[in-house]
Amino acid sequence: MPDDLTLPDVQLTGIPQEILGRADRYERFFRIEFVVSQIVLLTVLAVYARHGIRFAKESAAGRIGTGMLLAMIGLALVWISQVPFRLAEVWWNRRYDQTDSGYVETLFANWFELGAEFLFICFALAMVMALAGRFPRRWWLAAAPFFVGLAFLFGFIYPYLTPTDRLQRADLQAAGREYAAQQGIDPVPLRVEDVTDFTSAPNAYAVGFGPSKRIVFWNTLLDGSFTDDEVKTVLAHELGHHSSGHLVKGVLWYALFALPGAWLIARITRRRGGMGDPAAVPLSLLVIVVLDLLSLPVYNLISRHMEAEADWKALETTHRPEPAKALFKEFTIQSLNDPDPPRWSYVLFDSHPSVEQRIAMAEAWARRR
Amino acid sequence: MDRHPVRLLLEDDLRRSRLTVFFRLLLAIPHLIWLALWSIAAFFAAIAGWFAALFTGQLPTSLHRFLGSWVRYATHLGAYLSLAANPYPGFTGEPGYPVDVVIPEREPQPRWKTAFRLVLAIPALMLAAVLGSGFAGGGGGYSQSGTDDTSGVPWLASSGVGGVAAVCAILGWFASLALGRMPVGLRNLAAYGLAYTAQAYSYLLLLTDRYPNSDPAAVGPAWGLPPHPIRLELADDGRRSRLTVFFRLLLAIPHFVWLALWGIAAFFAAIANGFVALFTGRSAAALHRFLAAYIRYYAHVSAFVSLVANPFPGFVGEPGYPVDISIDQPERQNRWITFFRIILAIPAFLLTGALSAALLMAAVLGWFAALATGRMPTGLRNLGAFSVRYHSQTNAYLFIVTDAYPHASPPLQPPPEPEPVYADPFQPLPEAV
Repeated sequence: MPDDLTLPDVQLTGIPQEILGRADRYERFFRIEFVVSQIVLLTVLAVYARHGIRFAKESAAGRIGTGMLLAMIGLALVWISQVPFRLAEVWWNRRYDQTDSGYVETLFANWFELGAEFLFICFALAMVMALAGRFPRRWWLAAAPFFVGLAFLFGFIYPYLTPTDRLQRADLQAAGREYAAQQGIDPVPLRVEDVTDFTSAPNAYAVGFGPSKRIVFWNTLLDGSFTDDEVKTVLAHELGHHSSGHLVKGVLWYALFALPGAWLIARITRRRGGMGDPAAVPLSLLVIVVLDLLSLPVYNLISRHMEAEADWKALETTHRPEPAKALFKEFTIQSLNDPDPPRWSYVLFDSHPSVEQRIAMAEAWARRR
Repeated sequence: MDRHPVRLLLEDDLRRSRLTVFFRLLLAIPHLIWLALWSIAAFFAAIAGWFAALFTGQLPTSLHRFLGSWVRYATHLGAYLSLAANPYPGFTGEPGYPVDVVIPEREPQPRWKTAFRLVLAIPALMLAAVLGSGFAGGGGGYSQSGTDDTSGVPWLASSGVGGVAAVCAILGWFASLALGRMPVGLRNLAAYGLAYTAQAYSYLLLLTDRYPNSDPAAVGPAWGLPPHPIRLELADDGRRSRLTVFFRLLLAIPHFVWLALWGIAAFFAAIANGFVALFTGRSAAALHRFLAAYIRYYAHVSAFVSLVANPFPGFVGEPGYPVDISIDQPERQNRWITFFRIILAIPAFLLTGALSAALLMAAVLGWFAALATGRMPTGLRNLGAFSVRYHSQTNAYLFIVTDAYPHASPPLQPPPEPEPVYADPFQPLPEAV
């Protein structure tokens, strides 16, 4: 992406005013809901940090086992506290025709995922508590690289955990090979994920490292609502992530935060006996969530930069700004993305450039030609 | 222990006539027809009794006698079918059969309990279906499925011998044909299932307003239990944390993973242990310790998941958990039993499967109860603990930790006086009736 790139002002022609108003109302709800849910989450975790140690008497599992139990209970409380918001999201999405999911289905669909989270937190905590038991003041030095390694591992195996099918579109397969060559990388396998059960919104994403690299299209993107050229723009964009090494860079960014983050957790939990003591586990959960929230704007800034870079690469690959503009407009029409969200919301929550910025980038690319 | 008013009376001497055992099902046909007819009458009598009890506060004497006889007759027939008793039962449900139940005297019952009796009885009927009734009403027959028959009239539909009793009957059939005696453990377990079923139906039919209690100590007589190298140690206070109850399965996930990994190692250790026991006549001390820890850990996790115990268990199978298994030091083992261990373990496997279903049902029912009251009902807890004990004994037998066969009698603790250990699964034990 050129350093001197300045985005022109663009008019959002082609998007009916009614849709813009609808998108604005649709997204406003999620902003408010996010803020309220985070307040509830922090309150629950603050209470848990103060009183959670009481649950230690429910354990006969020794130091590390008790820590695992406390962490899982914390996660369970978080899950319970977020249930109303999850249901509210379904209600709102149904209201705006963004999903057909039922409420009961929403409650029970994520249990497998929740189980995986329970397992992961147990594994992570067992490692941290074992290290903290051995090195009470310096455990974070060893834990941070461990978690970075884990993030790499997860990034590598994630494509194998998500059920997808091979993309049965010869034209897109051919375009994928051609674009990959243009971007200087080997062809990346193209897959399709069936998301019909939980959303009607279109999407695609790039995942994996090395042999596990994939580009996954949601089937909602391939149902005929988007033209072939628009889908090819998406394909070039996702390939742009791979050719720019965004997935590796993402983990490296995480690594940059992991060390000070682990140090902060170690420092703050010291007054509860440190991470070697189960009593510190509830507090550590609160610290992790607070750090996560505080780092959200920074994470989103990095993410927006990468997305913009991938957009530019897509334009450089396809040389077709018009389908790109049409695609982004269609995102507003179909997914009700607010094309120009409030500044605070954009900074705090948005991991992608706004629709207006993305259209402006396509326009800027065209003018440079 | 507060005994349930519907109590089991056991005066069976374990002797079985091979001829009647072989033809048991055919011989029972007249009874099955008679029970089906009687059940139809009992159905209408129960409806009439319900209205009468709702208005007068108690069951009319004649209906109480009629329905009580039906429950007793069904128990007799169940005992005959499941080989818990030997003599051909009478057709009137008169007291005096070797496996019998005491039906309490007629007494006033709270009307609100009477009004909701059918709904209140559902959990007990579900458990009775898994434990296995001997009832062959309605659809009749000697069905092995006690769970697929809930359509239509509930108390008529619980047809045939259900899960646990069915397995006891099948195993008992082979044993009785071979030995001319019913193994005491199987007999006691079948009788326990029948007695619980009698409690459930007595409650449903308004013969008593006391809710069925699946605690073996509340159901039956003073059961005998031989000393066994694998014993249950129960120190649970019944209290449950609602939060951990709600998320119990999810909380157990790390244990499931660890149990699976440890299970792989235990599998190979058991093979090695088998070879050691074959050559030296006893298991190696280190392997014995390793496998004993696994058996204990398995029991801890089972108890935790099924709400038989409350605290989150440790990961190393250390003694001290509220539902624990104590395992004796290695002793000499019969090499023949070691050599044929897997084949000999098959009956125990079958019974373990049936008891696992009972444990699952106890856990499901206990989940609701513990969420509502913060306590696990003692009956469900003790039924679960019995299942955990039997499962542990089966594991220990399979892993060559002991050659003492798992004992199926339902009491949790052995009697105070020591009795000899019987390595032979079909060796009869002295009665403690």
